Amino acid sequence: MKKQHATVRFCGIAGDGIVTSGKVFSGAAADMGLDVLVNDNFSAEIRGLGKSTTDIRVSPTRVRSMGDGIDALVAMSVAESIPEIKDITEHGFVIFDCENDPDTRKEHGLEEYIPENLGSFAVPLKRLSNENARSTIARNIVSMGALSYLLGLPPDIFTELIDRKLSKKGEKVVQRNVDAFMAGRSYCDEHYGPHTTLDTPKDPEPKKLVTGNQAVAQGALDCGLKFFAGYPITPATTIMEIVAKELPKLDGWMLQAEDEIAAIGAVLGASFAGKRAMTSTAGPGLALMSEMINMGVMSEVPLVIANVQRGGPSTGLPTKVEQGDLNIAMYGGSGDSPRVVMAPTNAEECYSGIQYAFDIAERFQTPVIFLSDLFLGQRTEVDRIERRVERDRSTRVKPTNDELTSYNRFADTETGISPWVIPGEPDALYSVTGLEHSETGNPNFDAQVHLRMQEKRYRKFETLQKELPKPQVIGDLDAEIGLSCWGSVRGAVIEAMDIAREEGVKSKMIVSMMINPQREDDFRAFFESCKEVIIPEMNHSGQYAALMKSRYGIRPREMHFPGVTPVSPRKIADKIKEVQNELATETPRLAIV
Amino acid sequence: MNLLQKRHVLQSFERAKATKARKHRDTLPTWCPGCGHFTPLQALYEAMEDHAIESKDFVLVSGIGCSGRFPFFIKGFGLHGLHGRAVPIATGVKLANPELEVVIVGGDGDGVGIGGGHFPHAARSNFDLTYLLLDNAIYGLTKGQTSPTSPMGMVSSTSPYGNISKPLNASTMALTYGATFVARVFSQDRDECTKLIGDAMKHKGFSLVHVLSPCIEFHKTVTYDSVQDEVARLPEDYEPTDRVQALVLSESTDPIYTGLFLKEDAPSYLDRVAEVRKQFEAPVIA
Ligand SMILES: Cc1ncc(C[n+]2csc(CCOP(=O)(O)OP(=O)(O)O)c2C)c(N)n1
Ligand code: SF4
Ligand SMILES: [Mg+2]
Repeated sequence: MKKQHATVRFCGIAGDGIVTSGKVFSGAAADMGLDVLVNDNFSAEIRGLGKSTTDIRVSPTRVRSMGDGIDALVAMSVAESIPEIKDITEHGFVIFDCENDPDTRKEHGLEEYIPENLGSFAVPLKRLSNENARSTIARNIVSMGALSYLLGLPPDIFTELIDRKLSKKGEKVVQRNVDAFMAGRSYCDEHYGPHTTLDTPKDPEPKKLVTGNQAVAQGALDCGLKFFAGYPITPATTIMEIVAKELPKLDGWMLQAEDEIAAIGAVLGASFAGKRAMTSTAGPGLALMSEMINMGVMSEVPLVIANVQRGGPSTGLPTKVEQGDLNIAMYGGSGDSPRVVMAPTNAEECYSGIQYAFDIAERFQTPVIFLSDLFLGQRTEVDRIERRVERDRSTRVKPTNDELTSYNRFADTETGISPWVIPGEPDALYSVTGLEHSETGNPNFDAQVHLRMQEKRYRKFETLQKELPKPQVIGDLDAEIGLSCWGSVRGAVIEAMDIAREEGVKSKMIVSMMINPQREDDFRAFFESCKEVIIPEMNHSGQYAALMKSRYGIRPREMHFPGVTPVSPRKIADKIKEVQNELATETPRLAIV
Repeated sequence: MNLLQKRHVLQSFERAKATKARKHRDTLPTWCPGCGHFTPLQALYEAMEDHAIESKDFVLVSGIGCSGRFPFFIKGFGLHGLHGRAVPIATGVKLANPELEVVIVGGDGDGVGIGGGHFPHAARSNFDLTYLLLDNAIYGLTKGQTSPTSPMGMVSSTSPYGNISKPLNASTMALTYGATFVARVFSQDRDECTKLIGDAMKHKGFSLVHVLSPCIEFHKTVTYDSVQDEVARLPEDYEPTDRVQALVLSESTDPIYTGLFLKEDAPSYLDRVAEVRKQFEAPVIA
């Protein structure tokens, strides 16, 4: 059977080599020129009975989401794999361990759960690993051999990859793993024969892979990040780890702070001193940072905070995805506390977006909260990033000589942006404070002063709104059904729109990395051109939909996927069709009121 | 207010008028006349002069409290931070620009209460910062509640039946946390204050100057007179080189010693950063 694209799932417990399997399979697929998306799913426990799965979706065309269902399940352990079987689509198959030969497979407990219509391939993973690699440790490599054979993929790219990855450990180790891999293949060749033929490009152009968190770190380093302070928290820690290694080479430094309050405090200090500085965190850390973010708003000090969302509230689900931090990002401050909120939708936007975040933060002297999420931050995707390396980049508005003679740190200007002198530069001493202050920066609680300064702080956002790039409108512009979404859901929505179009229903979508502020005229015009608006997002309460409702007065159909796994394109496609059906049969309710 | 204190108040006003913001009346010291905080302010002016510190290179980061108002009264850049967070903010300033002279000022509530979690890390990391902790054993700005350095038995609006927790000793804390410069001074003693602040700024590494700085408005028991009766200078022949000996003396309550407990030469955090970076001095290929 021929197949355009496939999703493979490795399932097991700690020690089964699930992560390595994912890396090898995705790496080989990328080397074959396939597009790749990898989503790891771990339990929060480090060892013990924690279950872990890795899904790899590959295709000769663009892979935008994890899709719906899987085509192959590699079951490295039994109990954990049983509930995964239901996700296998028609014509899919399962690879599982048997003791010696296929006759013992029934005893193993998994087979009876595999429905008739699925392929069921017992392979003595442990025995073949023992025979070839002298321990059971290479059982995942044996399974890789079996999988590659059953999918009709050539062996050489896999063996080259094993060679590359393991060469540091010596020739013997490489040879044992290659043998284990080939043993898995030959076993399937002898006992089963190929199952599927996966399309691969004729002249493969090997692709590089990247994660969202890597892209955030690289983007920041490339646009002049000089100081980072942070406190470890899943799923943001990898950002901190990368900059810890790279910053000292670039005349910068990463400070591991004692808590998130200290981290954002040090960032505020470094930024006050004129350096590009940032922190990264997740929900619980963002909650701790809220007072300092407010101080950034009041004292107009740039802050860049990359918040990689995980399941909440509270400590929540550290290793599961959710888009639950929009409200705290938007509103998590005392008083009227405007801040920039951005949400990248893929690794490219993690890179370009974080650079834009620094540009905005510095030019507008404001906190910017950059909302990535666990799925986007950790998943591996093909690297489509166009690097822009400009380490001395600055968007700071400096004072003219005139402005310097009677310098006011918080001069009330037409744009709301006050020219900014940094400590160490002469002729312009000032203090900043979280207290309300006059243009000089000195505390002042006069009602008139408060009104004026509040207006000034909001005016910066009006200026920014005018400078923002246009939001993206995707799909069939004449469609009656419009969608909007934010963050990593975008990929699934585009895929859903494609599915719906193939099944006869047109739709369009508006999406922007900018959540606050937003180019409101463009959004309003888009919504006015729709009869119905659908907003899917990964949370229970519809945080983005609530924002759209209050900002544009729309009445969207909300779809809530409260986290844990990435969004299903199928469900969104069905919703598009359902709404189209209603439109055809009923008098539509007004999308805009 | 005694005569000496009166003089410090007047002088502080005179100096404050000569700050960056002399055109604005709102930057004259806002403290109660006679507040212990006037002397360290005065002493800081003098130390800056003594050491010819240029105002453009001087950054004062403060916490929130009566003591936290310092940035508005000095000639230099100021960062009036958040309650308890002056230490991490100052760390960021110093690491971002090591050329700047960075001084922290905060109260006892600010430094060992709400901000108590930051103090050990700044000390053990030996960030090159000078920390003036103005200890009045009370929450001044919020009008007289019990603080973490308040004596046991102290009656206040938040401990109406007397404080039942033991007070913390900021000098001892700094010594156990590994600070490399630890001194205590009575705020009445301006010359000593000036000298210690100057030496602290000169010291490379984390320096604590623990100022016993009475709150004349709210504290009924820790007053100029009570402190005057309790303090004594460290013995003439004391050498500030032994941390254990320093701890013994800093813990003494009868008398409460003032002076320099410890001065230790050790690489500062930035020295260690430079050490790490050295290996990359060859051009880096991105
Ligand atoms: C997060 C937070 N909690 C509480 C306060 C209120 N507050 C302001 S100053 C202060 C205590 C000040 O005492 P201290 O630090 O000893 O300084 P002093 O006024 O005595 O110099 C408190 C509780 C605040 N500003 N921020
Ligand atoms: S209340 Fe106390 S600490 Fe505050 S200014 Fe008055 S005397 Fe000083
Ligand atoms: Mg106090």
